[in-house]
Amino acid sequence: MIASVAFRNFKALRNTSLRLSPFNLVIGANGSGKTSLIQALQQLRALAKLPLGDPAAVTRVGGSEISFAFDAPHLGVTARLGCVDDVVCDLLQVDSVNRAEWEDVKAGLATMRSYVFDHVAMAAPAPRASGARLAGDGSNLAAVLARWQRETPAAFDRLQTELTRWLPEFTGIVLPEDAGGLVRLGLKIGDAEGPVMADNLSQGVFYVLGILVLSFDPAPPAVVCIEEIDRGIHPRMLREVRDALYRLSYPAAMGETRAPVQVIATTHSPYLLDLFREHPEEIVITQKHGHESRFERLADRADLAELLREGSLGDMWFSGILGGVPEES
Amino acid sequence: MKIAFLSESPADEAVLRVLVEGALKEKPTVASAGYRARGWPNVLQVLPAVIRHLHFNTDVDTLVVTGDSDDSPVHTEAHDAPQYYHPHCRMCQLRATFRQTSKRFPAAHGRLRVRRVVGVAVPALEAWLLCGVEDSVNEAAWVEGQARGILPYTRAELKLRVYRTERPSLPHEIACAVREAERHRRDLRRLEYDFPGFAALLRDLREPIPKIS
Repeated sequence: MIASVAFRNFKALRNTSLRLSPFNLVIGANGSGKTSLIQALQQLRALAKLPLGDPAAVTRVGGSEISFAFDAPHLGVTARLGCVDDVVCDLLQVDSVNRAEWEDVKAGLATMRSYVFDHVAMAAPAPRASGARLAGDGSNLAAVLARWQRETPAAFDRLQTELTRWLPEFTGIVLPEDAGGLVRLGLKIGDAEGPVMADNLSQGVFYVLGILVLSFDPAPPAVVCIEEIDRGIHPRMLREVRDALYRLSYPAAMGETRAPVQVIATTHSPYLLDLFREHPEEIVITQKHGHESRFERLADRADLAELLREGSLGDMWFSGILGGVPEES
Repeated sequence: MKIAFLSESPADEAVLRVLVEGALKEKPTVASAGYRARGWPNVLQVLPAVIRHLHFNTDVDTLVVTGDSDDSPVHTEAHDAPQYYHPHCRMCQLRATFRQTSKRFPAAHGRLRVRRVVGVAVPALEAWLLCGVEDSVNEAAWVEGQARGILPYTRAELKLRVYRTERPSLPHEIACAVREAERHRRDLRRLEYDFPGFAALLRDLREPIPKIS
Protein backbone atom coordinates (compact mmCIF):
# COMPACT_ATOMS: atom_id res chain seq x y z
CA MET A 1 0.00 0.00 0.00
CA ILE A 2 2.36 2.77 1.23
CA ALA A 3 5.78 2.41 -0.37
CA SER A 4 7.66 5.13 1.46
CA VAL A 5 7.42 8.14 3.72
CA ALA A 6 9.83 11.08 3.70
CA PHE A 7 9.94 13.69 6.47
CA ARG A 8 11.30 17.19 6.46
CA ASN A 9 11.25 19.18 9.68
CA PHE A 10 8.42 17.19 11.26
CA LYS A 11 9.00 16.99 15.02
CA ALA A 12 12.30 15.13 15.54
CA LEU A 13 12.21 13.79 11.99
CA ARG A 14 14.13 16.64 10.39
CA ASN A 15 15.32 15.00 7.19
CA THR A 16 14.74 11.28 6.84
CA SER A 17 12.84 8.78 4.76
CA LEU A 18 11.66 5.23 5.16
CA ARG A 19 10.82 2.51 2.65
CA LEU A 20 7.89 0.57 4.04
CA SER A 21 7.55 -3.20 3.66
CA PRO A 22 4.43 -5.34 4.03
CA PHE A 23 5.51 -5.79 7.66
CA ASN A 24 7.49 -3.21 9.64
CA LEU A 25 8.61 -3.49 13.25
CA VAL A 26 9.87 -0.13 14.45
CA ILE A 27 12.25 0.00 17.40
CA GLY A 28 14.06 2.87 19.02
CA ALA A 29 14.41 5.03 22.08
CA ASN A 30 11.46 6.85 23.60
CA GLY A 31 10.75 10.08 21.73
CA SER A 32 12.74 9.01 18.70
CA GLY A 33 9.92 9.25 16.15
CA LYS A 34 8.15 5.89 16.20
CA THR A 35 4.83 7.43 17.12
CA SER A 36 5.46 10.38 14.79
CA LEU A 37 5.60 7.94 11.90
CA ILE A 38 2.21 6.55 12.84
CA GLN A 39 0.80 10.04 13.41
CA ALA A 40 1.87 11.03 9.92
CA LEU A 41 0.01 8.07 8.46
CA GLN A 42 -3.06 8.89 10.52
CA GLN A 43 -2.94 12.46 9.30
CA LEU A 44 -2.68 11.31 5.70
CA ARG A 45 -5.75 9.16 6.24
CA ALA A 46 -7.67 12.01 7.84
CA LEU A 47 -6.80 14.57 5.16
CA ALA A 48 -7.38 12.13 2.30
CA LYS A 49 -11.08 12.17 3.21
CA LEU A 50 -11.28 15.92 2.61
CA PRO A 51 -11.16 17.88 -0.62
CA LEU A 52 -7.56 18.31 -1.78
CA GLY A 53 -5.73 21.42 -0.74
CA ASP A 54 -4.47 24.15 -2.99
CA PRO A 55 -1.05 23.01 -4.27
CA ALA A 56 0.26 26.51 -3.84
CA ALA A 57 -0.76 26.43 -0.20
CA VAL A 58 1.43 23.42 0.46
CA THR A 59 4.48 24.97 -1.03
CA ARG A 60 3.68 28.34 0.54
CA VAL A 61 4.04 26.91 3.99
CA GLY A 62 7.59 25.82 3.30
CA GLY A 63 9.64 24.20 6.02
CA SER A 64 7.81 21.13 7.28
CA GLU A 65 6.59 18.50 4.87
CA ILE A 66 5.79 14.80 4.77
CA SER A 67 5.74 12.97 1.42
CA PHE A 68 4.24 9.58 0.66
CA ALA A 69 4.72 7.24 -2.28
CA PHE A 70 2.59 4.17 -2.93
CA ASP A 71 3.14 0.61 -4.07
CA ALA A 72 2.03 -0.83 -7.40
CA PRO A 73 -0.43 -0.42 -8.97
CA HIS A 74 -0.32 3.15 -7.65
CA LEU A 75 3.25 4.06 -8.49
CA GLY A 76 2.05 7.20 -10.22
CA VAL A 77 0.61 8.70 -7.04
CA THR A 78 2.50 10.84 -4.55
CA ALA A 79 0.98 12.71 -1.63
CA ARG A 80 2.50 15.58 0.32
CA LEU A 81 1.40 16.88 3.67
CA GLY A 82 2.23 20.50 4.21
CA CYS A 83 2.59 21.76 7.74
CA VAL A 84 1.78 25.10 9.27
CA ASP A 85 4.55 24.51 11.78
CA ASP A 86 6.77 21.55 12.62
CA VAL A 87 3.91 19.72 14.34
CA VAL A 88 0.62 20.54 12.64
CA CYS A 89 0.28 19.28 9.09
CA ASP A 90 -3.13 20.04 7.64
CA LEU A 91 -2.65 20.53 3.93
CA LEU A 92 -2.61 17.66 1.48
CA GLN A 93 -1.40 17.86 -2.08
CA VAL A 94 -1.61 14.87 -4.40
CA ASP A 95 0.20 14.30 -7.66
CA SER A 96 -1.51 11.57 -9.61
CA VAL A 97 -1.41 10.42 -13.19
CA ASN A 98 -5.18 10.21 -13.11
CA ARG A 99 -7.93 10.89 -10.61
CA ALA A 100 -9.13 7.26 -10.50
CA GLU A 101 -5.73 6.18 -9.25
CA TRP A 102 -5.89 8.62 -6.34
CA GLU A 103 -9.47 7.57 -5.59
CA ASP A 104 -8.23 3.99 -5.34
CA VAL A 105 -5.44 4.98 -2.92
CA LYS A 106 -7.91 7.06 -0.95
CA ALA A 107 -10.24 4.10 -0.55
CA GLY A 108 -7.39 2.04 0.88
CA LEU A 109 -6.27 4.85 3.20
CA ALA A 110 -9.82 5.25 4.48
CA THR A 111 -9.64 1.73 5.93
CA MET A 112 -6.33 2.38 7.72
CA ARG A 113 -6.46 1.87 11.49
CA SER A 114 -4.12 2.76 14.36
CA TYR A 115 -4.19 1.08 17.73
CA VAL A 116 -2.89 1.81 21.19
CA PHE A 117 -4.75 -0.71 23.29
CA ASP A 118 -6.06 0.39 26.67
CA HIS A 119 -6.99 -2.56 28.87
CA VAL A 120 -9.24 -0.43 31.10
CA ALA A 121 -11.27 0.75 28.12
CA MET A 122 -11.30 -2.77 26.67
CA ALA A 123 -12.79 -4.18 29.86
CA ALA A 124 -15.72 -1.78 29.80
CA PRO A 125 -19.15 -2.88 28.52
CA ALA A 126 -19.74 -1.62 24.97
CA PRO A 127 -22.95 -0.61 23.17
CA ARG A 128 -24.07 -3.42 20.89
CA ALA A 129 -24.29 -1.09 17.91
CA SER A 130 -20.67 0.02 18.23
CA GLY A 131 -19.10 -3.22 17.01
CA ALA A 132 -18.47 -2.50 13.34
CA ARG A 133 -14.74 -1.89 13.72
CA LEU A 134 -12.38 -2.17 16.68
CA ALA A 135 -11.78 1.29 18.12
CA GLY A 136 -8.25 2.65 18.37
CA ASP A 137 -8.05 1.93 22.09
CA GLY A 138 -10.02 -1.33 21.79
CA SER A 139 -12.82 0.14 23.87
CA ASN A 140 -15.58 -1.59 21.90
CA LEU A 141 -13.94 -5.02 22.06
CA ALA A 142 -17.00 -6.75 23.52
CA ALA A 143 -19.30 -5.27 20.87
CA VAL A 144 -16.96 -6.27 18.03
CA LEU A 145 -16.79 -9.84 19.28
CA ALA A 146 -20.57 -9.97 19.72
CA ARG A 147 -21.05 -8.72 16.18
CA TRP A 148 -18.65 -11.34 14.84
CA GLN A 149 -20.48 -14.01 16.79
CA ARG A 150 -23.76 -12.94 15.15
CA GLU A 151 -22.64 -12.05 11.67
CA THR A 152 -19.35 -13.81 10.91
CA PRO A 153 -19.39 -16.87 13.18
CA ALA A 154 -16.57 -18.56 11.27
CA ALA A 155 -14.21 -15.66 12.09
CA PHE A 156 -15.43 -15.67 15.68
CA ASP A 157 -14.78 -19.40 15.98
CA ARG A 158 -11.29 -19.08 14.55
CA LEU A 159 -10.49 -16.28 16.98
CA GLN A 160 -11.88 -18.27 19.89
CA THR A 161 -9.88 -21.36 18.90
CA GLU A 162 -6.71 -19.31 18.66
CA LEU A 163 -7.39 -17.61 21.99
CA THR A 164 -7.76 -20.97 23.74
CA ARG A 165 -4.53 -22.14 22.10
CA TRP A 166 -2.66 -19.06 23.32
CA LEU A 167 -4.27 -19.12 26.76
CA PRO A 168 -5.27 -22.74 27.37
CA GLU A 169 -6.74 -21.99 30.80
CA PHE A 170 -9.70 -20.47 28.96
CA THR A 171 -12.24 -22.54 27.05
CA GLY A 172 -14.37 -19.94 25.34
CA ILE A 173 -15.76 -16.42 25.12
CA VAL A 174 -19.09 -15.29 26.56
CA LEU A 175 -20.75 -12.01 25.58
CA PRO A 176 -23.87 -11.39 27.63
CA GLU A 177 -25.94 -8.34 26.70
CA ASP A 178 -27.98 -6.37 29.21
CA ALA A 179 -31.38 -4.79 28.67
CA GLY A 180 -29.77 -1.49 27.74
CA GLY A 181 -27.92 -3.04 24.82
CA LEU A 182 -24.51 -3.08 26.52
CA VAL A 183 -22.36 -6.11 25.75
CA ARG A 184 -19.98 -7.40 28.40
CA LEU A 185 -17.01 -9.69 27.83
CA GLY A 186 -16.23 -12.81 29.79
CA LEU A 187 -14.07 -15.89 29.37
CA LYS A 188 -15.00 -19.42 30.36
CA ILE A 189 -12.51 -21.36 32.46
CA GLY A 190 -12.46 -25.16 32.31
CA ASP A 191 -15.07 -26.65 34.59
CA ALA A 192 -15.68 -23.47 36.55
CA GLU A 193 -19.35 -22.70 37.08
CA GLY A 194 -19.42 -19.20 35.68
CA PRO A 195 -17.18 -17.24 33.33
CA VAL A 196 -14.56 -14.76 34.47
CA MET A 197 -15.98 -11.40 33.51
CA ALA A 198 -13.89 -8.59 32.04
CA ASP A 199 -13.27 -6.69 35.27
CA ASN A 200 -11.48 -9.75 36.65
CA LEU A 201 -9.42 -10.61 33.60
CA SER A 202 -5.76 -9.70 33.48
CA GLN A 203 -4.41 -6.84 31.43
CA GLY A 204 -2.54 -9.13 29.03
CA VAL A 205 -5.70 -11.04 28.14
CA PHE A 206 -7.21 -7.88 26.66
CA TYR A 207 -4.10 -7.15 24.62
CA VAL A 208 -4.12 -10.73 23.33
CA LEU A 209 -7.78 -10.38 22.38
CA GLY A 210 -7.07 -7.08 20.65
CA ILE A 211 -4.30 -8.61 18.57
CA LEU A 212 -6.48 -11.59 17.69
CA VAL A 213 -9.34 -9.33 16.58
CA LEU A 214 -6.93 -7.58 14.21
CA SER A 215 -5.46 -10.86 13.01
CA PHE A 216 -8.76 -12.60 12.26
CA ASP A 217 -10.72 -9.58 11.06
CA PRO A 218 -12.92 -10.86 8.22
CA ALA A 219 -12.70 -7.45 6.51
CA PRO A 220 -9.26 -6.13 7.45
CA PRO A 221 -8.02 -2.63 6.65
CA ALA A 222 -5.30 -1.96 4.08
CA VAL A 223 -2.90 -0.66 6.74
CA VAL A 224 -2.72 -1.36 10.47
CA CYS A 225 -0.50 0.56 12.88
CA ILE A 226 -0.07 -0.85 16.37
CA GLU A 227 1.90 0.70 19.18
CA GLU A 228 3.75 -1.37 21.80
CA ILE A 229 2.62 -4.66 20.35
CA ASP A 230 4.38 -6.66 23.07
CA ARG A 231 2.78 -4.79 25.97
CA GLY A 232 1.49 -7.00 28.78
CA ILE A 233 2.31 -10.22 26.96
CA HIS A 234 4.62 -12.92 28.28
CA PRO A 235 7.89 -13.12 26.31
CA ARG A 236 7.25 -16.76 25.44
CA MET A 237 4.01 -15.75 23.73
CA LEU A 238 5.66 -13.20 21.48
CA ARG A 239 6.10 -15.83 18.78
CA GLU A 240 2.31 -16.07 18.65
CA VAL A 241 2.08 -12.28 18.48
CA ARG A 242 4.51 -12.24 15.57
CA ASP A 243 2.56 -14.99 13.81
CA ALA A 244 -0.70 -13.09 14.30
CA LEU A 245 0.81 -10.02 12.63
CA TYR A 246 2.31 -12.12 9.85
CA ARG A 247 -1.19 -13.49 9.27
CA LEU A 248 -2.10 -9.94 8.30
CA SER A 249 0.94 -9.10 6.19
CA TYR A 250 1.61 -12.48 4.61
CA PRO A 251 -1.79 -14.16 4.43
CA ALA A 252 -0.68 -16.73 1.85
CA ALA A 253 1.98 -18.03 4.29
CA MET A 254 -0.82 -18.76 6.76
CA GLY A 255 -3.14 -20.37 4.23
CA GLU A 256 -5.31 -17.25 3.87
CA THR A 257 -6.59 -16.06 0.51
CA ARG A 258 -7.33 -12.38 1.25
CA ALA A 259 -5.24 -9.35 0.31
CA PRO A 260 -2.20 -8.55 2.48
CA VAL A 261 -2.48 -5.91 5.18
CA GLN A 262 0.46 -3.58 5.64
CA VAL A 263 1.53 -3.62 9.29
CA ILE A 264 3.54 -0.98 11.10
CA ALA A 265 4.14 -2.02 14.70
CA THR A 266 6.32 -0.56 17.42
CA THR A 267 7.98 -2.36 20.30
CA HIS A 268 10.49 -1.95 23.10
CA SER A 269 10.93 -5.68 23.56
CA PRO A 270 14.33 -7.24 22.77
CA TYR A 271 12.58 -10.62 23.00
CA LEU A 272 10.23 -9.71 20.17
CA LEU A 273 13.14 -8.40 18.14
CA ASP A 274 14.90 -11.76 18.54
CA LEU A 275 12.14 -13.35 16.48
CA PHE A 276 13.11 -11.35 13.40
CA ARG A 277 16.62 -12.72 13.02
CA GLU A 278 15.67 -14.35 9.74
CA HIS A 279 13.88 -11.25 8.45
CA PRO A 280 16.00 -8.23 9.41
CA GLU A 281 14.53 -6.43 6.41
CA GLU A 282 11.37 -6.03 8.49
CA ILE A 283 13.10 -4.08 11.26
CA VAL A 284 13.25 -0.29 11.27
CA ILE A 285 15.45 1.47 13.83
CA THR A 286 14.82 5.07 14.75
CA GLN A 287 18.19 6.62 15.48
CA LYS A 288 18.03 9.71 17.66
CA HIS A 289 20.92 12.11 17.95
CA GLY A 290 20.19 15.19 20.01
CA HIS A 291 16.91 16.61 18.78
CA GLU A 292 17.00 14.87 15.42
CA SER A 293 15.94 11.34 14.47
CA ARG A 294 16.27 9.30 11.32
CA PHE A 295 15.10 5.87 10.20
CA GLU A 296 17.38 2.98 9.36
CA ARG A 297 16.49 -0.45 8.01
CA LEU A 298 18.38 -3.09 9.97
CA ALA A 299 18.97 -5.02 6.74
CA ASP A 300 20.89 -2.04 5.34
CA ARG A 301 23.73 -2.56 7.81
CA ALA A 302 26.76 -3.80 5.91
CA ASP A 303 28.03 -5.86 8.85
CA LEU A 304 24.70 -7.48 9.74
CA ALA A 305 25.69 -11.03 8.76
CA GLU A 306 28.79 -10.84 10.95
CA LEU A 307 26.81 -9.35 13.84
CA LEU A 308 24.19 -12.10 13.67
CA ARG A 309 26.92 -14.69 14.17
CA GLU A 310 27.80 -13.10 17.49
CA GLY A 311 24.48 -13.04 19.30
CA SER A 312 20.80 -12.30 19.36
CA LEU A 313 19.27 -9.19 17.83
CA GLY A 314 17.63 -8.29 21.12
CA ASP A 315 20.89 -8.39 23.04
CA MET A 316 22.65 -6.40 20.34
CA TRP A 317 19.94 -3.76 20.38
CA PHE A 318 20.10 -3.48 24.17
CA SER A 319 23.90 -3.25 24.05
CA GLY A 320 23.71 -0.28 21.71
CA ILE A 321 25.45 -1.94 18.77
CA LEU A 322 22.37 -1.46 16.60
CA GLY A 323 21.64 2.02 17.88
CA GLY A 324 18.06 2.90 18.72
CA VAL A 325 18.84 3.29 22.43
CA PRO A 326 18.29 6.25 24.78
CA GLU A 327 21.02 8.83 24.91
CA GLU A 328 22.79 9.16 28.23
CA SER A 329 23.88 12.41 29.75
CA MET B 1 13.95 -41.88 33.79
CA LYS B 2 12.89 -38.27 34.08
CA ILE B 3 13.98 -35.97 31.29
CA ALA B 4 14.12 -32.23 30.83
CA PHE B 5 14.68 -30.46 27.54
CA LEU B 6 16.43 -27.17 26.88
CA SER B 7 15.64 -25.99 23.40
CA GLU B 8 15.29 -22.86 21.33
CA SER B 9 11.60 -23.20 20.51
CA PRO B 10 8.51 -25.31 21.18
CA ALA B 11 8.98 -26.87 17.73
CA ASP B 12 12.54 -27.94 18.56
CA GLU B 13 11.35 -29.42 21.82
CA ALA B 14 8.56 -31.34 20.07
CA VAL B 15 11.11 -32.85 17.67
CA LEU B 16 13.51 -33.77 20.46
CA ARG B 17 10.73 -35.47 22.40
CA VAL B 18 9.89 -37.67 19.41
CA LEU B 19 13.51 -38.53 18.66
CA VAL B 20 14.37 -39.29 22.28
CA GLU B 21 11.29 -41.50 22.60
CA GLY B 22 12.36 -43.27 19.43
CA ALA B 23 15.82 -43.86 20.83
CA LEU B 24 14.56 -45.07 24.21
CA LYS B 25 11.72 -47.14 22.69
CA GLU B 26 9.57 -45.89 25.50
CA LYS B 27 7.90 -42.70 26.64
CA PRO B 28 10.00 -41.13 29.38
CA THR B 29 8.62 -38.91 32.09
CA VAL B 30 9.23 -35.34 30.98
CA ALA B 31 9.74 -32.45 33.39
CA SER B 32 6.66 -30.30 33.10
CA ALA B 33 8.32 -27.02 32.30
CA GLY B 34 10.02 -26.86 28.92
CA TYR B 35 13.20 -24.88 29.42
CA ARG B 36 13.76 -22.44 26.65
CA ALA B 37 16.69 -20.39 25.34
CA ARG B 38 16.46 -17.55 22.86
CA GLY B 39 18.85 -18.91 20.28
CA TRP B 40 22.61 -19.20 20.45
CA PRO B 41 24.52 -17.97 22.52
CA ASN B 42 21.60 -17.71 24.95
CA VAL B 43 21.62 -21.53 25.19
CA LEU B 44 25.10 -21.31 26.71
CA GLN B 45 24.09 -18.41 28.94
CA VAL B 46 21.12 -20.15 30.55
CA LEU B 47 22.52 -23.70 30.56
CA PRO B 48 24.49 -23.42 33.84
CA ALA B 49 21.43 -22.11 35.67
CA VAL B 50 19.21 -24.84 34.21
CA ILE B 51 21.71 -27.55 35.21
CA ARG B 52 21.98 -26.13 38.72
CA HIS B 53 18.22 -25.86 39.08
CA LEU B 54 17.59 -29.39 37.85
CA HIS B 55 20.33 -30.84 40.04
CA PHE B 56 19.30 -29.27 43.32
CA ASN B 57 15.59 -28.59 42.94
CA THR B 58 14.23 -31.49 40.93
CA ASP B 59 14.49 -35.26 40.52
CA VAL B 60 15.20 -34.92 36.79
CA ASP B 61 18.08 -37.25 35.88
CA THR B 62 18.63 -36.33 32.22
CA LEU B 63 18.90 -32.98 30.47
CA VAL B 64 18.67 -33.00 26.67
CA VAL B 65 20.13 -29.92 25.03
CA THR B 66 20.54 -29.17 21.37
CA GLY B 67 21.67 -26.18 19.41
CA ASP B 68 22.08 -25.31 15.76
CA SER B 69 25.66 -25.09 14.52
CA ASP B 70 24.80 -22.16 12.21
CA ASP B 71 28.13 -21.05 10.74
CA SER B 72 30.30 -22.34 13.58
CA PRO B 73 32.94 -25.07 13.13
CA VAL B 74 31.40 -28.53 13.09
CA HIS B 75 32.40 -30.99 15.80
CA THR B 76 34.78 -33.70 14.58
CA GLU B 77 36.30 -36.84 16.08
CA ALA B 78 39.48 -34.87 16.72
CA HIS B 79 37.56 -32.71 19.20
CA ASP B 80 36.81 -35.84 21.24
CA ALA B 81 40.47 -36.34 22.15
CA PRO B 82 41.15 -36.16 25.90
CA GLN B 83 41.66 -32.58 27.14
CA TYR B 84 40.80 -31.17 23.70
CA TYR B 85 38.45 -28.23 23.52
CA HIS B 86 37.63 -26.27 20.39
CA PRO B 87 36.65 -22.79 21.53
CA HIS B 88 34.21 -22.21 18.66
CA CYS B 89 32.69 -25.68 18.36
CA ARG B 90 29.23 -25.63 19.91
CA MET B 91 29.34 -29.29 20.91
CA CYS B 92 32.61 -28.65 22.78
CA GLN B 93 31.10 -25.54 24.36
CA LEU B 94 27.97 -27.36 25.54
CA ARG B 95 29.92 -30.29 26.94
CA ALA B 96 32.37 -27.98 28.71
CA THR B 97 29.51 -26.01 30.23
CA PHE B 98 28.00 -29.21 31.63
CA ARG B 99 31.39 -30.32 32.96
CA GLN B 100 32.30 -27.03 34.57
CA THR B 101 28.89 -26.43 36.06
CA SER B 102 28.46 -29.87 37.61
CA LYS B 103 31.97 -30.69 38.74
CA ARG B 104 31.66 -29.30 42.26
CA PHE B 105 28.05 -30.23 42.88
CA PRO B 106 27.44 -32.62 45.77
CA ALA B 107 25.18 -35.58 45.00
CA ALA B 108 21.50 -34.77 45.23
CA HIS B 109 18.19 -36.56 44.72
CA GLY B 110 19.87 -39.95 44.41
CA ARG B 111 22.21 -39.09 41.54
CA LEU B 112 25.71 -37.70 41.29
CA ARG B 113 24.75 -35.31 38.59
CA VAL B 114 22.17 -34.74 35.90
CA ARG B 115 23.07 -36.82 32.86
CA ARG B 116 24.22 -34.75 29.91
CA VAL B 117 22.61 -35.46 26.54
CA VAL B 118 23.89 -33.02 23.94
CA GLY B 119 23.42 -32.77 20.21
CA VAL B 120 24.20 -30.14 17.60
CA ALA B 121 22.17 -29.89 14.42
CA VAL B 122 24.32 -28.96 11.42
CA PRO B 123 23.56 -26.33 10.34
CA ALA B 124 20.02 -26.26 11.82
CA LEU B 125 17.41 -28.65 13.13
CA GLU B 126 15.60 -28.54 9.80
CA ALA B 127 18.49 -30.50 8.27
CA TRP B 128 17.66 -33.41 10.58
CA LEU B 129 14.06 -33.13 9.46
CA LEU B 130 15.05 -33.39 5.78
CA CYS B 131 17.30 -36.40 6.39
CA GLY B 132 16.13 -39.29 4.21
CA VAL B 133 13.99 -36.96 2.12
CA GLU B 134 16.78 -35.03 0.46
CA ASP B 135 19.95 -37.07 0.03
CA SER B 136 22.04 -33.96 -0.48
CA VAL B 137 21.25 -32.73 3.02
CA ASN B 138 23.71 -34.19 5.50
CA GLU B 139 26.47 -33.08 7.82
CA ALA B 140 29.29 -34.20 5.51
CA ALA B 141 27.90 -32.07 2.67
CA TRP B 142 27.83 -29.04 4.96
CA VAL B 143 31.37 -29.64 6.24
CA GLU B 144 32.64 -30.04 2.70
CA GLY B 145 30.84 -26.86 1.70
CA GLN B 146 32.41 -24.98 4.60
CA ALA B 147 35.85 -26.21 3.51
CA ARG B 148 35.27 -25.14 -0.10
CA GLY B 149 33.68 -21.86 0.89
CA ILE B 150 30.52 -22.73 -1.05
CA LEU B 151 27.76 -23.91 1.22
CA PRO B 152 25.39 -26.49 -0.31
CA TYR B 153 22.31 -24.78 1.10
CA THR B 154 21.35 -22.03 3.48
CA ARG B 155 19.43 -22.37 6.72
CA ALA B 156 16.63 -20.32 5.19
CA GLU B 157 16.41 -22.79 2.30
CA LEU B 158 16.20 -25.72 4.68
CA LYS B 159 13.38 -24.04 6.58
CA LEU B 160 11.54 -23.30 3.36
CA ARG B 161 11.85 -26.93 2.26
CA VAL B 162 10.46 -28.22 5.54
CA TYR B 163 7.71 -25.66 6.16
CA ARG B 164 6.98 -24.62 2.54
CA THR B 165 6.85 -20.99 3.61
CA GLU B 166 9.34 -18.44 4.91
CA ARG B 167 7.01 -17.47 7.72
CA PRO B 168 5.40 -20.56 9.24
CA SER B 169 3.01 -20.12 12.11
CA LEU B 170 4.10 -21.92 15.25
CA PRO B 171 1.39 -24.64 14.99
CA HIS B 172 2.33 -25.23 11.34
CA GLU B 173 6.02 -25.36 12.21
CA ILE B 174 5.39 -27.86 15.01
CA ALA B 175 3.12 -30.00 12.81
CA CYS B 176 5.67 -30.16 9.97
CA ALA B 177 8.58 -30.77 12.32
CA VAL B 178 6.83 -33.51 14.27
CA ARG B 179 5.68 -35.19 11.05
CA GLU B 180 9.29 -35.45 9.89
CA ALA B 181 10.53 -36.51 13.32
CA GLU B 182 7.90 -39.26 13.41
CA ARG B 183 9.35 -40.54 10.13
CA HIS B 184 12.65 -41.06 11.94
CA ARG B 185 11.24 -42.41 15.18
CA ARG B 186 11.08 -46.09 14.29
CA ASP B 187 14.54 -46.22 12.73
CA LEU B 188 17.05 -43.58 13.70
CA ARG B 189 19.99 -45.18 11.92
CA ARG B 190 19.95 -42.95 8.84
CA LEU B 191 19.78 -39.82 10.97
CA GLU B 192 22.56 -41.18 13.17
CA TYR B 193 24.73 -41.97 10.15
CA ASP B 194 24.16 -38.75 8.21
CA PHE B 195 24.37 -36.45 11.21
CA PRO B 196 27.17 -37.15 13.70
CA GLY B 197 25.80 -34.27 15.75
CA PHE B 198 22.72 -36.41 16.34
CA ALA B 199 24.79 -39.58 16.81
CA ALA B 200 26.55 -37.82 19.68
CA LEU B 201 23.19 -37.16 21.30
CA LEU B 202 22.28 -40.85 21.02
CA ARG B 203 25.61 -41.90 22.54
CA ASP B 204 24.99 -39.63 25.51
CA LEU B 205 21.52 -41.07 25.87
CA ARG B 206 22.96 -44.61 26.05
CA GLU B 207 25.29 -43.68 28.89
CA PRO B 208 24.08 -44.75 32.32
CA ILE B 209 22.59 -42.18 34.65
CA PRO B 210 25.35 -41.27 37.15
CA LYS B 211 23.66 -42.56 40.31
CA ILE B 212 25.04 -42.83 43.83
CA SER B 213 26.43 -46.36 44.18
